[in-house]
Amino acid sequence: MKKFDPNRIRRIILDMAYSGATVHIGCAFSIVEVLAVLYRDHLRLDVADPRSKGRDYMVLSKGHGIMAQYACLYELGWLSQADIGNYFKDGTRLKGLADVHVPGVEATAGSLGHGLSVAVGLALAAKLNKTDQACYVLIGDGELNEGPIWEGLLFAAQFKLDNLIVIVDKNDFQAMGSTEEVMGLGDVEAKFAAFGFDAITLDGHHEPALDAGLRALRAMRNGRPKAIVANTVKGKGVTFMEHNNAWHYTRLSPETYQAALAELEIRP
Amino acid sequence: MRKAFSDALVAAALADPKVLLLTGDHGYALFDAFRKACPNQYINCGVAEQNMVGVAAGLARGGFRPIVYGLAAFVPVRVLEQIKVDVCHEELPVVFIGDGAGFVYGQLGSSHQSTEDIACARALPGLTVLSPADRFELTAAFQLACEQVSPVYLRLGKSDRGDVHAGPVKLSVGVLLKIRGGSGKGALIATGSMVRTALDIVDAGLDAEVWSAPTIKPIDGKILGEICRRVNWLVVLEEHSVMGGLGACIAETVTMIRPVPVCRIGVEDRFSEFCGSYEYLLREHRLDTESVKQRIAGFLSAVDGEQNFDFPQAV
Repeated sequence: MKKFDPNRIRRIILDMAYSGATVHIGCAFSIVEVLAVLYRDHLRLDVADPRSKGRDYMVLSKGHGIMAQYACLYELGWLSQADIGNYFKDGTRLKGLADVHVPGVEATAGSLGHGLSVAVGLALAAKLNKTDQACYVLIGDGELNEGPIWEGLLFAAQFKLDNLIVIVDKNDFQAMGSTEEVMGLGDVEAKFAAFGFDAITLDGHHEPALDAGLRALRAMRNGRPKAIVANTVKGKGVTFMEHNNAWHYTRLSPETYQAALAELEIRP
Repeated sequence: MRKAFSDALVAAALADPKVLLLTGDHGYALFDAFRKACPNQYINCGVAEQNMVGVAAGLARGGFRPIVYGLAAFVPVRVLEQIKVDVCHEELPVVFIGDGAGFVYGQLGSSHQSTEDIACARALPGLTVLSPADRFELTAAFQLACEQVSPVYLRLGKSDRGDVHAGPVKLSVGVLLKIRGGSGKGALIATGSMVRTALDIVDAGLDAEVWSAPTIKPIDGKILGEICRRVNWLVVLEEHSVMGGLGACIAETVTMIRPVPVCRIGVEDRFSEFCGSYEYLLREHRLDTESVKQRIAGFLSAVDGEQNFDFPQAV
């Protein structure tokens, strides 16, 4: 069985969203491959201890995609079947946005523009502690509207945090519409480059490309922070959700749940 | 008081290499000694306070003891949400220093004056709030802040109003410090710069105990209860809004344990109107010693005469 199989991760997300009657499905689906590749081959973690010293950090700054991370944490064994099965039930610990008290979640995020700064602090701490920890932080393209993001990018370059790898989930949508309609971003890679980052753009659903890009950036300890602009599709994996921003807010009905599940089940 | 602050910072950093001082490009001259003694523990985060607090949270997670410095108008007020989400939610041991609180930056206008920081900070779960009155309280409060394993907001207001204590003091979280005894009629409880004012008023003849409140949250209900059993009235003085500050805190607590009339003297529900010196702004807000005397006299005549209170319009 393939570890962190994207199709299986999407099924877990779908089950969580259906049983919990939750929203934010589209923005979880767009980051599945990014998280799958990171957890499978890049994050150096101690499976026995989510808070092990010297671990790599995975900060989900776009906390709205948290169901995708929960699915990965479940695959790691840090979350239980009960956690997943009881999503959104009263008195349970998994919330609808990232909460630092959940094992494997490194920052409370979802109020946007927070996770990057915490990640920058973690990367700086690793530098000051002279460890070779890497700090990955996944931010949304809508999140780029937030002022503290740009404060954090300036800081990362100034303090030469080449152990920081920022991944932008560029699915071209935010809550109320397309990013172009709401707050045009222009050339995101060029913006990161202008801020002093080594920046690349790639297909955020193409696992070999993600793997190669992450590998190349991590190896470049040249005093410059890193960025990957991951071109993604909001709602990726279920045709009627893809590019349809309604799935930021829409809850699954029995019919849409079954239809989505059927699409995922026919895939290898 | 500012030298005491600089000395305390340097001592803390020399004693513990994990102590880091973060500033949002503030602290000109104030940090000269620190930068000389501990250059590798000084991080100028630029004019970007929101990111600074997130970075402090990450550093604390990485084993460091960040001390985050800013003007009180910015730390904690501008970055309140970062303090809440990034630091308090995980109970990280970060010390926030809000300098220039109250009307210290009188001539710069309302953006740099800070009379709402205590109210904001008090409401954040797990955040201890300290407000020293002189260099002795500052030294003890800073040490207390560094000993905590949870977040602390340390408020620094007008710093040159002289000592209110004869020598070093010991502080524990919640404590009220008695500075003057009285015959038991009433008590003045003040914090920061206004402790000096309370002393001046008592020294001019008012029969009242004087207490300093270097810790505003939590506050020791036992000490406050003992004071309330002894006295008939309380006056609370602060260079902060009467809404949500020490006066509100005392009134809330007293209501629960032993109600006595409480007069809250602070900044009413308004911004400063004019440019002016610190002393001018105290007068504008009726917080200079003469105005405070009159306000207390009005309160006492209402209490003594059992008249109906004539509530100030703005409160």
